[in-house]
Amino acid sequence: MAPVDMSKYLGLFVSEATEHLESLGRELLALEKEKTRDRVDAMFRHAHSVKGMASSMGFEGIAVLAHRVEDLVDGVRGDLGLLSREIVDALFAATDALSAQVKAAAAGQVPPDTAALLELLNARVVALTGQPPDPTSVMDATVENTHPGRPVPRPDPAPPPPPQPAPSQAGLGLPPRFAVRVKIAHSCQVPGVRAFLVHKKLSALGAVHELRPALEELKAGRIPDGLISLELETPAGETGVRHAVRNISEVELVSVKPAVPKPAAPPEVAGAPGGAAPAPAGAGAAEKPKEPDTGSRTVRVKTELLDYFLDAVGELMLATARIREVGKVLPAPVRPPLEEAVYRLHALVKDLHDKVMSVRMTPLSVITDRLPRAARDIARKRGREVELSITGAEIELDRAIIDDLSDPLLHLLRNCIDHGIEPAGQRVEAQKAPAGRVAVTVRRQRDRVVLEVEDDGRGMDPQKLKDAAVARGHLTAEAAGRMTDREAFMLACLPGVSTAADVSDISGRGVGMDAVKRAVESVGGTLEIESEKGRGTRFTLRLPLTVAVVNLLLVQAGAEIVGLPIGKVLAVLEADHAALSRSRETPLIAHGSSLLPVHVLAELLHVPPSPRTGVRPYLVMESDTGKVALAVDRLLGQEEVVLKALSRPLDLVAGLSGVTILGSGRPIFILDVPRLLAA
Amino acid sequence: MAKRVLVVDDAIFMRNMIKDIFASGGFEVVGEAANGLEAVEKYKELKPDLITMDIVMPFKSGIEATREIIKQDANAVIIMCSALGQESLVMEAIEAGASDFIVKPFRAEDVLAVVKKVLGEGA
Repeated sequence: MAPVDMSKYLGLFVSEATEHLESLGRELLALEKEKTRDRVDAMFRHAHSVKGMASSMGFEGIAVLAHRVEDLVDGVRGDLGLLSREIVDALFAATDALSAQVKAAAAGQVPPDTAALLELLNARVVALTGQPPDPTSVMDATVENTHPGRPVPRPDPAPPPPPQPAPSQAGLGLPPRFAVRVKIAHSCQVPGVRAFLVHKKLSALGAVHELRPALEELKAGRIPDGLISLELETPAGETGVRHAVRNISEVELVSVKPAVPKPAAPPEVAGAPGGAAPAPAGAGAAEKPKEPDTGSRTVRVKTELLDYFLDAVGELMLATARIREVGKVLPAPVRPPLEEAVYRLHALVKDLHDKVMSVRMTPLSVITDRLPRAARDIARKRGREVELSITGAEIELDRAIIDDLSDPLLHLLRNCIDHGIEPAGQRVEAQKAPAGRVAVTVRRQRDRVVLEVEDDGRGMDPQKLKDAAVARGHLTAEAAGRMTDREAFMLACLPGVSTAADVSDISGRGVGMDAVKRAVESVGGTLEIESEKGRGTRFTLRLPLTVAVVNLLLVQAGAEIVGLPIGKVLAVLEADHAALSRSRETPLIAHGSSLLPVHVLAELLHVPPSPRTGVRPYLVMESDTGKVALAVDRLLGQEEVVLKALSRPLDLVAGLSGVTILGSGRPIFILDVPRLLAA
Repeated sequence: MAKRVLVVDDAIFMRNMIKDIFASGGFEVVGEAANGLEAVEKYKELKPDLITMDIVMPFKSGIEATREIIKQDANAVIIMCSALGQESLVMEAIEAGASDFIVKPFRAEDVLAVVKKVLGEGA
């Protein structure tokens, strides 16, 4: 038989083991708050699943760690009071180490060393159960992958002795009786169970007598040389006995021959068919109905495949737009049928696109689920008390956005706990509850998702931020002096400013607020910071539901055509440029009750402006410093396009947020106006 | 005709592995179930020749499911997928009517050998 190539299971192993470990971590966290038997049982199941999968894959490190988790969890099952802080910490450490090992396995790397942790876990198991842990059985992966596998422990069948006439016990009115000797294979991992099965199968044929070793010994696996002897009273005859034993694995029939009945011997009845043997204590207790397993009716799809679908649908949309464009130059008589077909095609592709997008929608819980554990760790390291609440995590976003938000969200949480929440003593002095509060709130707001991370800590000091920004050369002291507090908070997003104040183990991991802002903006979102000294800080992320398709307003600036996300255009005004009022050198345009500064798009793009004079359109848009009006030469129309991310080196150009291809086949850039203005 | 198999395990990983093993041995996997409840349902529906049954599963354990299936059909052939350390659970399953067992981690040869023996196709 061909060897089993385990590598094809690696992807599934990684994804499923990761899910189990995440669930394990969640249960553990919940367990710390409230100890329930259900949670312990669920944890056991998760650890057990990981052990089983890892041992099949030949990942010994993972299997052994998971086995220790199983041991510890099993050890406290009976008495949840045994679940000490030390054991919880050990379980957390083990869960982390398991995740790291699974990651290493996924990447094909050498797993991190866990010797010290294993020693600790072993010690905890011994302390808890009074016994050293059992060895963990693991598939030898190297053998498995290169050899046709270990030969099956298939005992040589004993040469069949010449059939003997069934011994007649007719005089006693009993079925014929046979002396049976069987041997459990050396290679059998669980001889006790194997022997029990033999006993069960033979009992099904008739009454068992003279069982040696006795049933309890058999079940415990105490079987010298693996030899079992018994006498069987059965109408099935010698053939029946041979047949029954032949169909049991790992068992060799040593002999079967007629026995002389001992009428005085009492029959051994234990283990008779029908299940008279007492169920082992504690068994079955782990088998109660558990939380719904909604995953069982879903299909797993690799995220790369989803990305591919989206790309392919995007290309379909572009191709459809291209056909439509081409059709416009066809002679009038052939146009209607083509247009009708294109219309249908467009509707179908649009529908397909919606479906692909909905498949890509993922609840935010995928990333917020990590936060409670992270909050616990950060708070413990920093000696803070923190209560984290998360609401609205069921709200869904495109998984491309979710993926990009994972680290920023963690950073915001760190920021809140590390810089925001004061030590309990200070909090009490400030008449606050000793435990700090961090709230992560998610809600839908029309076509956006608003995610807030808010703490009730000490708040940010605008002056300190200004000083840090000036010290880092980001702005002049004079400019800093003119800034409002709200603007000053955004200074935290300048490189080096947020991390300058104190570089701790936790916040100083290289992800500053600048990276958070960049990540949020790169998915088409915005970041706002509000803070009040002594009261707390709130980070507000406004995120699009999807990144892929945007409605663009196409505008001309000089000879250049560029796209602006239509959602960001607040209004379109028309005015004669020469007639605009001016403040110093800046032209101003009236919009509502205010005057907005005018910027000429062609100048911002450094392209020659058109010589056009007279009335032209102005787009009212938001910038970092308030509303502005953008002078363009012409509005060319609206188009729904598939956004493509910019690759190096174009992504370094400030003010470009992406590129797309119009139906005409022309590539155009999509502008990020606030960044263009700030550049 | 290829023997028809129902694979019961709460881990997709395990189900896929077992399915591949059966496919390599010329069996037809006609269904799979992720817990004991589903297993009992699927057994009624599919009447397979053989079931591989995980023990520790949510909702309903493999032992409970085995008990219920055997109650419906005393001749059902159920092979428990166990792990070391589950000896007493496996014995309970055997009491409940399971025909045999395999111990994780298992290799294809071992599984097919056990299955063939149980189905009376042994050497």
